[in-house]
Amino acid sequence: MSKITRRKFLAGSAAGGAAMMLAPSKNALAAGSFEGFPDGMGVLVDLTRCVGCRTCEAACNTEQKLPEPAKPFDDYSVFDELHHGQKRRPTDKAYTVVNRYEPEGADEPLYRKIQCNHCNEPACLTSCFVNAYTKTPEGAVIYNAKVCVGCRNCMIACPFHIPGYTYNSVLNPVIKKCIFCYDTRLKEGKPPACVESCPQQVMTFGKRKDLMKIANDRIKKNPGQYVNHIYGEKEVGGTGWFYISNAPFEQAGFDIDLPKKPIIDNVKDFLAIVPMVLTIWPALFTGFHLLATKGKSHGHGDDHSAEQEDH
Amino acid sequence: MVNVGKRLITGLGVLVLTSLFTVGCFAMDYPDEVEIDSLANLYEAVVFDHAMHVDATDSCADCHHHTTGTPSSSEYCAKCHDGAVEMDVVSCQDCHSGDPVSAENLHNPQPGYFYHNDKPNLKAAYHLNCVGCHQEVDGPTGCEDCHAKTEAGEKYYRSGEFAPEAAAHSSGH
Amino acid sequence: MKKLATYGIKPHDAAMKADGKQWSLMEKLLLGLTLDQYIGQVIRNKFNWLLAFIFAIGIPVIIYRFIFSLGSVTHASYDYPWGLFLGFGLFCMVPLSASGFMLGTTVEIFGRHDFEPIERLALLNGLLGYFFAVVYLLVDLGQPWRLSYPMVYSFGPAAVLFLVGWHVATYLSVQVAEVSTAFFEWIGFQRGYDFIRKGTVGLTVSGIILSTLHQGALGALFLYAPGKVHPLWYSSAFQWLHFFTSSIPAGLSMVICVSTIVVYTMKWRCDERFINSLDRITISLAKGAAMGLSTYLIIKLIAVAHDNEWAYLATGWGQWWLLEIVGFVFIPLLILSYAIRNKLVGLCRVGAFMTVAGILLNRLNTALITFNWKLYQEIPHQWEIIISITIFAIYIATYRFILNRLPILYQFKSQSDK
Ligand code: SF4
Ligand code: SF4
Ligand code: SF4
Repeated sequence: MSKITRRKFLAGSAAGGAAMMLAPSKNALAAGSFEGFPDGMGVLVDLTRCVGCRTCEAACNTEQKLPEPAKPFDDYSVFDELHHGQKRRPTDKAYTVVNRYEPEGADEPLYRKIQCNHCNEPACLTSCFVNAYTKTPEGAVIYNAKVCVGCRNCMIACPFHIPGYTYNSVLNPVIKKCIFCYDTRLKEGKPPACVESCPQQVMTFGKRKDLMKIANDRIKKNPGQYVNHIYGEKEVGGTGWFYISNAPFEQAGFDIDLPKKPIIDNVKDFLAIVPMVLTIWPALFTGFHLLATKGKSHGHGDDHSAEQEDH
Repeated sequence: MVNVGKRLITGLGVLVLTSLFTVGCFAMDYPDEVEIDSLANLYEAVVFDHAMHVDATDSCADCHHHTTGTPSSSEYCAKCHDGAVEMDVVSCQDCHSGDPVSAENLHNPQPGYFYHNDKPNLKAAYHLNCVGCHQEVDGPTGCEDCHAKTEAGEKYYRSGEFAPEAAAHSSGH
Repeated sequence: MKKLATYGIKPHDAAMKADGKQWSLMEKLLLGLTLDQYIGQVIRNKFNWLLAFIFAIGIPVIIYRFIFSLGSVTHASYDYPWGLFLGFGLFCMVPLSASGFMLGTTVEIFGRHDFEPIERLALLNGLLGYFFAVVYLLVDLGQPWRLSYPMVYSFGPAAVLFLVGWHVATYLSVQVAEVSTAFFEWIGFQRGYDFIRKGTVGLTVSGIILSTLHQGALGALFLYAPGKVHPLWYSSAFQWLHFFTSSIPAGLSMVICVSTIVVYTMKWRCDERFINSLDRITISLAKGAAMGLSTYLIIKLIAVAHDNEWAYLATGWGQWWLLEIVGFVFIPLLILSYAIRNKLVGLCRVGAFMTVAGILLNRLNTALITFNWKLYQEIPHQWEIIISITIFAIYIATYRFILNRLPILYQFKSQSDK
């Protein structure tokens, strides 16, 4: 079964289940796509190159017109920050952050830049009940803040803990996350601000499928310099941004237990029972009703308690 | 804000190198000092003490793929840029263009682009080369160890006079 | 009220006054008491003092939340996007309100009119539970006007939450219709009453469908977070079944609990029929709850076996899980079975309270406590707790307000006379 067919099927079943009177609009069924676009762009992130200068954070802040940070972008004390024992993560005020790790037995610390990975089949997108998210043909996962209700289901769903929420907005709290610089750059074919700003070219921008080759080449051509894994090639159905590293990924804070299948696959079984319940239940229970009340009065207020004590 | 971004793009994207790494082997003439200012925008130009690095390293090949008059030493480059042909340029920018992954190239790859898609851009060529070695030999690796921030840079990093109010910070690497 | 009753004052309970006159709306609202009598009994009631105390603190905090944003009353956690408002308000209130559709099914579909005296209480319990789940949701989202977006403006039909949203909304209207019969009686609108009664079977069947799906869907929501919920509380194959089956004992036990509280604290409002049949009904409900609990227990164990998660039982999380499953599923199941066999109503009630506690624990465990078990545990902000308690207090106050008035615990005279 092709992915598109499956998507339509899932959409149809949930929509059908949503309400018997809802005729889902064509729009709803056509929006987004669950297959990675063949010519979608991506970014290869080579952790071996990153020196933790935080220039990319500054670039994102400028490009996305984000609020003033708590500390300057050349303040490296942020690497020592722990929040509830956790290193920093992207928020509504910073779409990307760089963290420092100390892999076992390595001389140099390892730095890892985190931002939205622009998944091929984004969990955030599939979990959103107002369809605020879109995976664009260019490969970006963007969202429409105008329809965001603020349910934060996408934050629950995102396996990489990416989306932030403007908790401090009174009138219009919405989701905020990295958008691959879609509006200002990607749309015109230009690389994102963070990619361009990096002095070490940690990030290489290009078509995802070309980058995958480059990543494999780098691993092949530099024996011993990389662990033989491309994080994001398969994880949760593949991500637009993916990583190669010289240290095992779990030592750089990556979740290596993520399923290889897209997150939506988990939910598929449940969505599949929806049409079943919808079609079978009414007949079943009306049948029960007819059987159970056969030959009895329909009236309300009859108290048959005495003779019906135990069944 | 938009302007800063624009300037940044031009500054970082166009990347024209004015000073060459004019390097020869020990037999050749080479400059004692090189000012690398083509990328200067957020940071001041770097005044590179070439003579000192010549003394500190064993061979030109520690930094350069080749010198004028010798073939390329990079096995991947040498596959096409035939090992037999002597090179007449040594400047980084002659091979490392500012923007190998241009939008045009992505959508309409030029002939031969395929072989160059993983070639670092000029800025990265410098930094990977310098920082990579400095890490090994314990040379300076902090950004401002080599080049001071300009005012545009302070603004960009929100440091110095542009630092956030709240941050009583200390920076340093 | 007890005291008034000793003076021979009878509350409003029929269409006509003893002298054959119509009650006015004001008199109905005051339960047929005079204003002085009414205020007097409100003040005498110690529980009202407690409510007043909670409101005095909590309502300003709720107002504060709407002026200064959600971030001002919670930890604004990005890792725990769903705090108490959803973890408790949505995920706990909804299963505890499953009573409506279950009693509806029993009485209307299976024709078990022996459960009728409690049917309306169960329906009301369902309605109020859902309604207040939505109230919690509103306090959480803070953009009430956007709550309708998934209904009218922008559809995300492949999302589980879409299903939940639509179902809770539709089901809420179904329940309003179901409970409205009591309201029509009370207000004296016979035509409305007859109209709704005709559609009862249809309403009930749609209630079953909607309930099966959205109770399950609440569980399925966590299928989006496979790595985040602890494996013992997560099962990709059975998650929705866990939530659905556990909602059955949850709803039934909740009715037992509420009826217990009611019969001890508001006896004056219950009529003979209700009081006399309550013991019998409690045991029958307990039977249903015990059956639901045992099914739930079995599926829970199957899920652990299916994903082969026995090793986790040796960890601290495993013990926490065992506490939930043994202490709040297995033990109440034993208590209920023993009580049913020996017809011990009191013990049934103990079992029901434990079952309710167990469901609360399960939902909180899934949504908050074991969520992000690999990261850290989040303790809700004190104001978040205060707001949650306040809304719950409003829920209780509303519940009581309606029980005091509408013919839920008693039969309206005019009708039963007919
Ligand atoms: S700009 Fe590049 S080197 Fe600097 S922290 Fe970001 S990714 Fe690392
Ligand atoms: S990383 Fe998270 S937010 Fe980004 S596309 Fe994937 S699921 Fe969505
Ligand atoms: S792609 Fe754009 S939005 Fe995303 S982290 Fe980089 S600069 Fe920020």
